[in-house]
Amino acid sequence: MKTMRQAAALVKGLARMLAILLLVLLGSTVLVRFAPGYLSDAREMDSRYAGAARAELSAEAARSQSLAQMFASEIGGWARGDAGLSRQYGVPVFELIRPRLAVTGGLLLRSLVLAWVLAIVASLVSSAGRNPSLFWQTPATLLLAVPTAAMATLCLLANYGGPALVMALLLAARDFKFLHRTLRKAWLDPHVLQARAQGIATPRLLLKHILPGIASQLAALASLSMVTALSALVPVEVIFNVPGLGQLAWNAAMNRDLPVLLAITMIMALAVTCAGIAPDRPAELESA
Amino acid sequence: MKLNRPAAWLLIALILAAGVVTAMPGASYSHQDRESTLAGASTQHPAGTDALGRDRLVRVSAALLLSLAGALAASIVTTAAAAGVGTLAAFGPSSFGWTAMLVCDAFLALPWLFLLMMIRSALPLTTSPASSAAITFLVLAALGWPACARAVYRGTLSLKDSEWLLYARAEGLRRGQIVRSVIPNLIPLLVPQFLICVPAFVIAEANLGALGLGIGEPLPSWGGMLLELDNSAMLIETGWVYFPVALLVVILLLLEAATVEA
Repeated sequence: MKTMRQAAALVKGLARMLAILLLVLLGSTVLVRFAPGYLSDAREMDSRYAGAARAELSAEAARSQSLAQMFASEIGGWARGDAGLSRQYGVPVFELIRPRLAVTGGLLLRSLVLAWVLAIVASLVSSAGRNPSLFWQTPATLLLAVPTAAMATLCLLANYGGPALVMALLLAARDFKFLHRTLRKAWLDPHVLQARAQGIATPRLLLKHILPGIASQLAALASLSMVTALSALVPVEVIFNVPGLGQLAWNAAMNRDLPVLLAITMIMALAVTCAGIAPDRPAELESA
Repeated sequence: MKLNRPAAWLLIALILAAGVVTAMPGASYSHQDRESTLAGASTQHPAGTDALGRDRLVRVSAALLLSLAGALAASIVTTAAAAGVGTLAAFGPSSFGWTAMLVCDAFLALPWLFLLMMIRSALPLTTSPASSAAITFLVLAALGWPACARAVYRGTLSLKDSEWLLYARAEGLRRGQIVRSVIPNLIPLLVPQFLICVPAFVIAEANLGALGLGIGEPLPSWGGMLLELDNSAMLIETGWVYFPVALLVVILLLLEAATVEA
């Protein structure tokens, strides 16, 4: 019975994920198609390329006359595994994306691991103390007040740190704020106080009494970290010249290569829904 | 130690000072003094000039006013939209509530910056600077509401189950009257959401501008001024290049401190 219920919940979750992805694809296609600059190209301003650009644009206009046709062609592109054709390079979009996936994945993984280690250590130490000290709060607040692009540029100018460190600091500061608050509350739970009074060792107290109680909040925070990391990817990869998806997306945005931008947006949406951001989250995390 | 009051006063003082600087006779954020490009601090240009000889203090002041005004307007739109969607989703038919939350999830599944980039890159090449500023903040407002709407939806659902609302229903109040009486009770939820949006939108505009996709020149913006840091010639010439980023961090810290109690 329990297995059946779990299977039903899984199917329901997957159906919701699919619905969200289709909605994202439909919404993005509508947004792109009806954007006032969809049928314009920067090359039109250069007399050498203007003719070719105009020919391509009129072909694009003919192709995208019907929204249903455009949506079907997007889905067809994904089903074929090429996600359409890049306007800028004239090659299948996935050919551009594939080599960059590993670069971005590696950067994300390193940043997330480093951020969580930093945030957990700092929040454990700060929440177990008697007073929430300014020693921990001040750097976190300061880091959150620096835009990612500025932090990356300053690191580059100082020749100190790299893309993983910038992203990790940003994520750690954000995660620390929530972790500190959650752990501080957990330390004051009656059963934890009772366990402390009985002299249970701190590591056992953490593993057996505190962490199981906040596991769902930690999972929600982990998925939120993923969204924050994906948003920080673009400025960090552009400024540090990392050949990843963020840099490709920026390049596509600057050159109005909307098929590439659309494909990357879909990949990001897939990553976020897979990370479990779409299901219900605790209310206190909504505002993050 | 409570810092929210002093922070709010300091913020107001900075805004007033920025207003005075931009309103001074002869102050123009686009006027180019070609005789003194990349200049350091002087009596004529207290924070130096940029590569085109434009007064940095005037530009920073105008950027401060523009970004705060834009972020405030976008936050008002976002909060109003979230209040509307969240309340309607909670009080409407359950299918509408489900669909509204699915749309929210679809928005939340997309990292902001990618959507912003997609929208900004799909604008016509001839977009004027003023339009680019309006569109940037409009897009921020259009993308910011789902998280807030979810919080409002949850808050409204819990209010819906409260005893006073049950009593109101038993008394025969119509749905419209009930919704009207619920909205004031959502203010404690909406105010923090509004206050969270303001610094978030300022940061988003700065990040977007630093990527060259924000407010168009010659309008001054935080993001546009962050781009100056890429110019190594400027960094060698004058340390005042760091002034905009330092002031931006101070403004964000003050916003955080001023709103923390809410």
